[in-house]
Amino acid sequence: MAEIQTKKLPFRRYFALTRGGILELTAFRMSMALDFVGNIIYMIVVYFLWSAIYESTPTGIVNGMTFSDTLIYLTLASAIFSLVEVYLVWQMGRDIQSGQFSLYFTKPTDFFLYQFFNQSGNIATGFIVTFLPTFLIVDFLSSWRIPIGVNTLFFAISLIFSIVINFCIDFMVGTLCLYTQSFWGINMMKEVIVLLLSGATIPLAFFPHTFQTVVMYLPFQAIYNVPLQILISDSLSFVDYGKYLGIQAFWSLVMILLARLFFRHASKVITVNGG
Amino acid sequence: MSEIQLEQRTKRSLLFYPKIYLMIITQDIKSKMHYRADFFISILGMLATNISGFVAFWLIFQNFPSIKGWTYHEMIFLYAFSLLALTPVQLFFDNNWSLRFAVYSGDFVKYCFRPLNLYFYFVSEVVDVKGVGQFVFGLAILIYSWEHLAIPVNFQTILLLIVAMISASLIMIAMMTAAAATCFWIMNSGMVMVFLFRFKDYAKYPVTIFNQAFQIFFSFIIPIGFVSYYPSLVFLRPGHIHPLSYLTPLVALVFFYGSYKLWMRGAMKYSGTGS
Repeated sequence: MAEIQTKKLPFRRYFALTRGGILELTAFRMSMALDFVGNIIYMIVVYFLWSAIYESTPTGIVNGMTFSDTLIYLTLASAIFSLVEVYLVWQMGRDIQSGQFSLYFTKPTDFFLYQFFNQSGNIATGFIVTFLPTFLIVDFLSSWRIPIGVNTLFFAISLIFSIVINFCIDFMVGTLCLYTQSFWGINMMKEVIVLLLSGATIPLAFFPHTFQTVVMYLPFQAIYNVPLQILISDSLSFVDYGKYLGIQAFWSLVMILLARLFFRHASKVITVNGG
Repeated sequence: MSEIQLEQRTKRSLLFYPKIYLMIITQDIKSKMHYRADFFISILGMLATNISGFVAFWLIFQNFPSIKGWTYHEMIFLYAFSLLALTPVQLFFDNNWSLRFAVYSGDFVKYCFRPLNLYFYFVSEVVDVKGVGQFVFGLAILIYSWEHLAIPVNFQTILLLIVAMISASLIMIAMMTAAAATCFWIMNSGMVMVFLFRFKDYAKYPVTIFNQAFQIFFSFIIPIGFVSYYPSLVFLRPGHIHPLSYLTPLVALVFFYGSYKLWMRGAMKYSGTGS
């Protein structure tokens, strides 16, 4: 036993989980198609809602954002949402309630890495099936307003940080369920806080000024606002890109550290149902 | 079934079903009292979502004067109405979300052996208490907007409100019942439910913001226009009530009856899993 405990799985082996995740999803093609249609309908609703909202402005520009800026911002935010959303809280919550959770402790894997790679297949598939088509449709609808160039490259790097930060938040909230034994309500609160404070519900430019300043110091805006700013703004210098990615790298490190510390602490005090 | 039981079945008083209903839900509430923390966390989670919807409107109206002629308080009224109309489906019909599990595992057979209406017995088994928070919040902002809009409070408006509210809530109940019933025919019915459930978030917008095609779509195909917009017109625009507003109770009954029939048809062809 002691032998197994000390021998951790080599890092590259974790990619087997990515492959497994992708294969698993091919069994749910119907679900993905419905999900895609759902996103399209969401985009249509956002389109009509905000064109109705913008009708009441004489200039067509509010807080520096035009209608098509807002449209691109919000629809891509929802595309990023379906990309980074991992439903980890649901999975951990269910495993905690059923007692299945104890099984993870018998595996010679690092729990954090195991969960991350377990979700990575989902994310990779989501990128191709949901994110790319949405991106193309939005770009088309806004008559190719999204600049394609060096910003797209930085946007791709930025997305990876978004995935990591969002995963860590989910992981921490999932770990919190070890204490509460209840996950639905906590997951709802997490979703509301992340979506609202990251600008995915209403772009941050529309928030009152003091509120904006506070939100900028929180990790949530690094998930949605940063990649979207990188993609949409066409006047960023390399220093700006560096700053944006630096903020994300900082939050990724902090969140990974916090998530791992929290889990290490929690795994010492948990009680598992059913034994 | 014995002679005597059959005899009793035919002689049911009007109070038979309400009495049984109380008996069944008491058991469910008793079992839920074991997890009081979960109860409170769930209510908080639900409230968080409701409040974020409110904050979104507040933010929009900080930047824009109106949405297609609809003022802040009118939009809050529509939102409040939709929250209240969506409460019954959450409170009393939540067991539909478990239907597919019962069907696939074979547990559904147990419902077939009771001398009760199958649909009634199935949905009465679970009361989802977190809907209570939504009800309180919805009522609070309905009163708030009602007062600001100076809508008269008299016997007529209160009666209209109750009729409109019951009709509106039947629409969403019908949609979720039909969605749940798909599990009798297909495997991925969970996705169908998630897909249709997302539409409830669009019920708070006036149907007039959409173009002709989507007005028809949201009135007759996915009839969420009837969840808040059409019935609310009676209070918000008493001078220009849309003909469809008067039809709300009828549309609600037709949709509900259709979905109930679909559900029962599926249940009747259910042949168990053989175990």
